[in-house]
Amino acid sequence: MHISLTPLLGALCLASSATITLRLPGPPSLPNPNALPPATHATLSTLGLPSLSAPLTTSNTFVFRNVTSGSYLADVHCPTFAFAPLRVDVDETGEGQEHVKVWETYRGNDWDNKGEALPKDSVGYEVRVLGSKGYFMERSKFSVLSILKNPMILLGLVSCGIFMGMPYLVDNMDPEMRAEWEERQKSNPMNGIMGAATGQPGANPMQGFDMASFLAGSSKKDNSGSSTPVSYSDAVKSGGGGGGSRKGKR
Amino acid sequence: MRPLPLSSLLLSALSVGVAAVYQDEVGHVDYHYELLGVPQRETTLFHRPRREDKASLLYTLSDVGVLGAVHPSSGAVVWRQFLTGNITNGGGFLRASEGEGWVASAFGRSVHAWDAVTGRNRFWMDFTGEVKDLEVMEMTEKERKDVLVLSDDNGATILRRLNGNDGSVVWEFRDASKDVPLQVSTNVEKVFAVSLHGSSGSYNIKVSVIDTLTGKRLDEIILGTKGEVNGERAVAFVGANSAAPVIAWTDDAYSKLRINVLGTKNLQTFALSDDTVSVEVHAPHLVQSQPHFLVHSMTRSGHRADVYHVRLKSDAITKAYELPLLPGKGAFSTASVGANVYFTRITADELILTDSESHGILGRWPLKTGNYPANAIHAVSEVIKKSATDYAVRAAVVTDADDWLLVRNGELGWTRPEGMTGAVAATFAEIPKSEDLAKSLEEEAHSNPLQAYIHRVNRHIDDLQYLPDYLAAIPQRLVSSIFGTDITNKGDKLLRDSFGFHKLVILATRRGRVYALDVGNQGKMLQSTKVADLTDGQTWDVKGIFVDEVLNQVVIQARDGYAIVDIETGKTTESRVSPIPVQGVAVVEGPSKKWQLAVHEGGEIDQIPAELAPQGTVVVRGGNGEIKGLKFVTESGQAVAYTSWVFSPPKGQRIVHVASRPSHDAIASIGRVLGDRTVKYKYLNPNTLVAAAVDDAASTLTVYLLDTVSGEILSLATHEGVDPAKNIECVTAENWFLCTFFGQYTLAASPSQSIKGYQLVVSDLYESDNPNDRGPLGSAANFSSLNPVDDPTAAAEPILPSVVTQSFVLGAPISALAVTQTRQGISTRQVLGYVPDTHGIVGLPRHVLEPRRPVGRDPTQAEMEEGLVRYHPAVEIDPKMVITHERDVVGVRKIITSPVVVESTSLVFAYGVDVFGTRVAPSFLFDILGKGFNKLSLVATVAGLGLGVLALGPYVRRKQINTLWQA
Repeated sequence: MHISLTPLLGALCLASSATITLRLPGPPSLPNPNALPPATHATLSTLGLPSLSAPLTTSNTFVFRNVTSGSYLADVHCPTFAFAPLRVDVDETGEGQEHVKVWETYRGNDWDNKGEALPKDSVGYEVRVLGSKGYFMERSKFSVLSILKNPMILLGLVSCGIFMGMPYLVDNMDPEMRAEWEERQKSNPMNGIMGAATGQPGANPMQGFDMASFLAGSSKKDNSGSSTPVSYSDAVKSGGGGGGSRKGKR
Repeated sequence: MRPLPLSSLLLSALSVGVAAVYQDEVGHVDYHYELLGVPQRETTLFHRPRREDKASLLYTLSDVGVLGAVHPSSGAVVWRQFLTGNITNGGGFLRASEGEGWVASAFGRSVHAWDAVTGRNRFWMDFTGEVKDLEVMEMTEKERKDVLVLSDDNGATILRRLNGNDGSVVWEFRDASKDVPLQVSTNVEKVFAVSLHGSSGSYNIKVSVIDTLTGKRLDEIILGTKGEVNGERAVAFVGANSAAPVIAWTDDAYSKLRINVLGTKNLQTFALSDDTVSVEVHAPHLVQSQPHFLVHSMTRSGHRADVYHVRLKSDAITKAYELPLLPGKGAFSTASVGANVYFTRITADELILTDSESHGILGRWPLKTGNYPANAIHAVSEVIKKSATDYAVRAAVVTDADDWLLVRNGELGWTRPEGMTGAVAATFAEIPKSEDLAKSLEEEAHSNPLQAYIHRVNRHIDDLQYLPDYLAAIPQRLVSSIFGTDITNKGDKLLRDSFGFHKLVILATRRGRVYALDVGNQGKMLQSTKVADLTDGQTWDVKGIFVDEVLNQVVIQARDGYAIVDIETGKTTESRVSPIPVQGVAVVEGPSKKWQLAVHEGGEIDQIPAELAPQGTVVVRGGNGEIKGLKFVTESGQAVAYTSWVFSPPKGQRIVHVASRPSHDAIASIGRVLGDRTVKYKYLNPNTLVAAAVDDAASTLTVYLLDTVSGEILSLATHEGVDPAKNIECVTAENWFLCTFFGQYTLAASPSQSIKGYQLVVSDLYESDNPNDRGPLGSAANFSSLNPVDDPTAAAEPILPSVVTQSFVLGAPISALAVTQTRQGISTRQVLGYVPDTHGIVGLPRHVLEPRRPVGRDPTQAEMEEGLVRYHPAVEIDPKMVITHERDVVGVRKIITSPVVVESTSLVFAYGVDVFGTRVAPSFLFDILGKGFNKLSLVATVAGLGLGVLALGPYVRRKQINTLWQA
């Protein structure tokens, strides 16, 4: 239905066709409405009619004039902020201000699932800001902290600390405790691994392991007396045999 | 509360990764020509947006319908408004008022006013009649300034005075007599509505004198005898906002000029020089300016001007002085400072400033535009009086090369390639290979080994001359490779690069010009040449553009003929006019090479020599909108086209869009591996096309998938509640197609629910419904589209694909759909589309538009492994998906894509009003190091680790030895 326009003095806003004003919200939700780019505009679209478009005015509103009856989808398009879409129903047969009704809507939702109509204030209907638009991806920047946060680096640092700090701790122990600790060290399987790295074969638990006696259930032999010469001879030929054994283990 | 960043809100809807743009890549991978269009003579002006501020901006309403402001010192765009949202072909009005912070414009049926600094709207009024003229009333009874609008409402002349603040109508004057409204003018006291009175072809001029306060007619003056004016074009000028506005018109032969001061009956006639071909009148638009004007007469070989004065008391017009005839093209413009009026004359090599009072030259500057020939078509200028004898002039000049440039005292300030707007076709082209090397290699291959060896050694010795340069460049290359800066290609020689990013874009515009842009070098314009000679108002309707890489040339097929342009030089090597209009083109594969076949109106095709006969079927649109498949048969040395099938949509439907597969559609895998390690085989028939047909009465859209060999319908889907007036577009690639439209319908599943919005329907084609099943074809090596159709007795059913479809509701309409192309097709594809509402190009990842997304339930473990996320009907335009990011890309008409050497990347180029190009990597950059790869930190890390090892080494060794000795 086409409504002929009689644009005589102030006749524009009168009954036959509706003027719809959408208003941008103020500072709490939109920090500076005056900073929005001039390309910001709103559209009203419906089936069978070309989309109506209204640019952003100097008073931060969008004014649609001569809107005929129908149920419209109103969108505000802005390069920097996103706004919630609205459903705008215009009924020309209605009287007074009641012939325009506005609801907030959600894309992909049922069109008739309206909820509560938006109130009209002195200027028009306020649109809701959804958020600011961020077009760019953040590039992860190089920082020392991010390296330190890496668990591998943390593990390495801790082991490094133990490696360097342990001898001093051991030196400061009282002799009894130290003897006890060293005794425990020998039976510690971790020591074997550490010892293997230093080329100390005596510390390898597998090397001193006697399968037959273990199966027989007998207790461990005391070979503390012979341990020194074995390790000494091994240390002497560490250039050949020790290297070979290490290679074999890897 | 500060607004949340939108991406966090969209994250729930889109948990899949999106390849967005990094801030540091802006300007590195993409380029953008922010254009306005070629400024029009009547709608370009300098204006001071703030009364207290001396700085002025340059405003124009261009021939493509973009209104904008440009900074005169830098040439940067301050603001732009795309008035209609469509690319227009000239027209419109733009006026500014001295001392006011707004400009008024009109286009079509609407009148608008814009804030001159910010570009925001002050008011936008739509009227019933088409606007014929717009003028600002400099003096009103109120404090404000008002706008006068003359419109033509079905033959009736309507003049309205609008309130300059809010656009409301102050009064309306209506004249129902069947006159042709021409222009509106005003002096301080009265308003004049000028119209052509009489019948078509023989008019005289009628001036209605109207009261400014009430809009009542005071007087009506008929000027001249009947038949004196032939039409609107004969009236050279109607002045306004002057103490004595004049109207000037010429006769057909340009032998005399008739001038009248509006509001008087006195008509004066001045003779024009003999060989005048056109006349322009320039006068100031300020009330306080002296009533002087300049008549610019163009002859075949040169241009001259006469300056006239109007005596205010007697309304008599006297000729003051004349500016001599100079050869070549030239432009005049007026500038006023207070009451003084200055005329600037721009010739091919000089800028000359004269006062309107006397013929003495105030300033004369040689034009220093380098090797750029500035043949001015029209210009606007601004004059600053520095001292009694010293003047500064800046002039914005539109040249015959469709460029807009600013000349400041003869020095070139900036150049804007506005001719690139209104582009109608573009294509990617490889940079021509260095022919010398190819030639000498060929020579070596064909000669005997010894000669070849000697030739090769000689060639290498010859190459030694480049060695010093190469060695000298090594340090710079090393440094730039560590710091990640670009190696600028010195010299003018274009070279291909190893990534394939260096390509050319050949762009043809409707003004008959062809541009070559270097994609690898931020879209630098390499050359621009005039290819088609067009008369005024005619546009170059390019139907196809095809690159012949063998011959290094571009074939541009327009509606009325074709032109062949050399890629390297831009010269037109051949051009021919076609007697029958061409409706479109098809790139066909002949026996020896690919070439571009012109299809005449109605789908007719000329006879073709047999050696060029296209292989396969050529699909054309018939005269009644039907789709036809043509097969070529060689008859006595000529290939003759025979219709092999016709597809006509059912009655009531019309085909609105046809999408065919891109020419480069590489497919890496024939199947899709599902989460449970079964495979769904893709339906990969290269001979398919998608046709969208609408039924206007029933508001339905039917999408057909056609087999182009047999013409058979492979699949069809009908969508209800579709708006046929809104953009309907389809695109197809690989084994899927999608269509977008505006839909409004109730759901079939639950009739109480209805959906309204811009929809996107995606369909995937598979060989069968079940995984690990290749359907009726099985593993057959051959397949014929014709077999089941040709043999009616065969029991076999035609082989139809299995279609999986899903529809989405888009947050905004998209147009100019395209699909990214990569070399091997391993990377996922992105659907590119222009979002006219936000002036951006969005890249929708294929995995978001996946029809197999689970509906109404969360994905299972296997589906998650496949990358499927739960279906959500709404697809918002996530800003991270916008490949144009913050750029304001106006009026994109088409997007083209091209593969490069590296698999991850696809080149994108968009044209229309603006020109934009970028590189996209839909599956991220997996085969090249991006800008994020910090070589410096890598080197630093390796060096740091090395230092650590060196420092710890002796310590560890000592420790080991100590352990051995202590144990």
